[in-house]
Amino acid sequence: MKKWSTIAKHEYIYNIHRKEFLFVTFGLPLFIFMIGGLPILLMSSSISHEEYRIGYVDKIGLFDSGNFTKYANEELAKKDLFENKITHFFVIPANYTATGEIDIFSAKTRSPESTAIEDQIKSFLLDNLLKGERREIVERAKNPISSEYFTLNEKGGSSKEGISTILIPIAFAMLFMLSIYTSSNFLLQGVVEEKENRVMEILLSSVSHKELLTGKVFGLGAVGLTQILIWQIIGIALLSSNPIVSAIVLDKVHVSIPILVLASIYFILGYFVFASIMAGVGAVATTSREGQQLAGIFSITGAIPLIISEFIITNPNAILPRALSYFPLTSPVTMIMRLSLTEVPLYEIVISILILAASTYIILELSVRIFKASLLVYGKKPTISELIKYVREG
Amino acid sequence: MGNTIEVSHISKSFNGQSVVKNISFNIAPGEVFGLIGPNGAGKTTIIRMLLDIIKPDSGEIRILDTLLSEITKDRIGYLPEERGMYRRLTVMDTLVYLGALKNKHSKERALELLEKMEMISHKDKKISELSKGMAQKIQIIAAIIHDPEFIILDEPFSGLDPVNMKLVKDLILELGKEGKTILISTHMMDQVERMCNRIFMIYRGTGVLYGSIGEIKSRYGKNTIFLEFEGELKNIHGVKKINYSGNYAELILEADTDTQDVLKTVAGCVRVNKFEISAPSLNEIFIQVVEGT
Repeated sequence: MKKWSTIAKHEYIYNIHRKEFLFVTFGLPLFIFMIGGLPILLMSSSISHEEYRIGYVDKIGLFDSGNFTKYANEELAKKDLFENKITHFFVIPANYTATGEIDIFSAKTRSPESTAIEDQIKSFLLDNLLKGERREIVERAKNPISSEYFTLNEKGGSSKEGISTILIPIAFAMLFMLSIYTSSNFLLQGVVEEKENRVMEILLSSVSHKELLTGKVFGLGAVGLTQILIWQIIGIALLSSNPIVSAIVLDKVHVSIPILVLASIYFILGYFVFASIMAGVGAVATTSREGQQLAGIFSITGAIPLIISEFIITNPNAILPRALSYFPLTSPVTMIMRLSLTEVPLYEIVISILILAASTYIILELSVRIFKASLLVYGKKPTISELIKYVREG
Repeated sequence: MGNTIEVSHISKSFNGQSVVKNISFNIAPGEVFGLIGPNGAGKTTIIRMLLDIIKPDSGEIRILDTLLSEITKDRIGYLPEERGMYRRLTVMDTLVYLGALKNKHSKERALELLEKMEMISHKDKKISELSKGMAQKIQIIAAIIHDPEFIILDEPFSGLDPVNMKLVKDLILELGKEGKTILISTHMMDQVERMCNRIFMIYRGTGVLYGSIGEIKSRYGKNTIFLEFEGELKNIHGVKKINYSGNYAELILEADTDTQDVLKTVAGCVRVNKFEISAPSLNEIFIQVVEGT
């Protein structure tokens, strides 16, 4: 076995046992589930008619009871409400057809399910108002529009729009950045730790500087991929456990295979760029705190497309997003956003991938040189001019 | 077969400060060689250059008959001066990983060495659970896990209690008997005095002594008396200097002093338990050399 793969294997096993890794990998889906998924689940499970027993007082004399209990006056309805025979009642005033005003009464304060109540009342009112119309017409009046947007381009093609246009690129960009941050951060911590506890010397008496960094970058890349894979599995498991939610989500999300393939390419290359930078930063930093601060500069640069995501979504082909698609730190996220929003010319994709691939190689090579150089000034942070000198000499 | 190590005219400076100045020495196969000198003399820098962790500014180093390459690294074992290991790994995992990095992973040898160093009962413990001395023994095992031909031990005795110190010494002597070439770097000169065939002494980056211990000592003559006594020593005629250590003293004599006169004077003022005419200790030789420069 090549030595770098021994290192990669070690780094992989060592890092997936980190508490931080387990926390981010399993804590994040839990967190998203709590803030995002739970309300949807609650909503979908609370759509049941039995829970509400609704009564009404009709002052026009036009409305048939249907599923609801009809009361002659409000006093009778109130009495039943307090005796818990009904959960809600509403009053249709004599001038209803002119004003549309409806008063709804309940023994409890307004609760989240009030929309569900209103939906039922609305349906009841429409059924009565459109009495005599065809069933289809009544149903259409209840739900008059089911919309999908299309963007026409000059070539005559069209692309579907939906919530996915915003959801997918942002979600991808967030997951991408998060996964890259965690794994490249582990790499940074690892390098600094090994420098601090001097394991580095033992390692370097066995392998070359380059083998060491390459092994680390690959090992931690596998950690990042594992993380994304776990998120996917959790996501699929959650969706398949709840058919209603998965139907809602799948209906709104359109994922095309080419975008998926490109996303994977951008993820892997993007990870290598960040990991190589973190390796170099780790080599220069003398403590992990210093390393974090230095790394922050690059992390924030990488997050620029997210920060200006609103601009990119509305103007995917403006000069700024196009420029960001060539710059290696921002190109993965920007490109994925643009690809799912608009048709990006093939040459732009090719150029940006080429730049990205070339930069991973160059940055790794630079990091190895910086790494070698900063070992010369053990325990001391090299100055920028020293670094430039070393990189040239190396 | 040539020398295991050939260092010729290496120099190294950091930020314009010269740390190693034009140093040359050889280590023959199977030799136990001492690289000695006070703290900060440049010993660790020389070792890092031997291992290609840093490069010399000038000069050449040949190890095991070649310039150092990644393949020769597999034939070298190294115990760094500053100890550190992966704190969350177990003893066994650490040894297997570091062995694998040398292209050799033999669990049997790891177990055998753990047994020898009286560490076998700790094999499944995490490094962070070990005491400092225990961790150091694990590092020594890690340095020789791949059965290297050439072993570099940087300050192997620091931080060890007498029992463990003996264990480590015995291990080094045994490795020497097996024909391994060993470089011991230390500032504890009396430790290497009894273990090494030859030494290279370095002071402020410059080589000051080089050769076999016997030859170096004979060069400085039998002008020293080791004394074990009770009482208080006063100025003795013909004695240039006295190095005290408790009830022991090392008396450095003037060139033409008769040792019998010294014995008479000493016996007159203190109770003598031991009186030995000898060559000076390496420590004393070192001090003389440094004061002479």
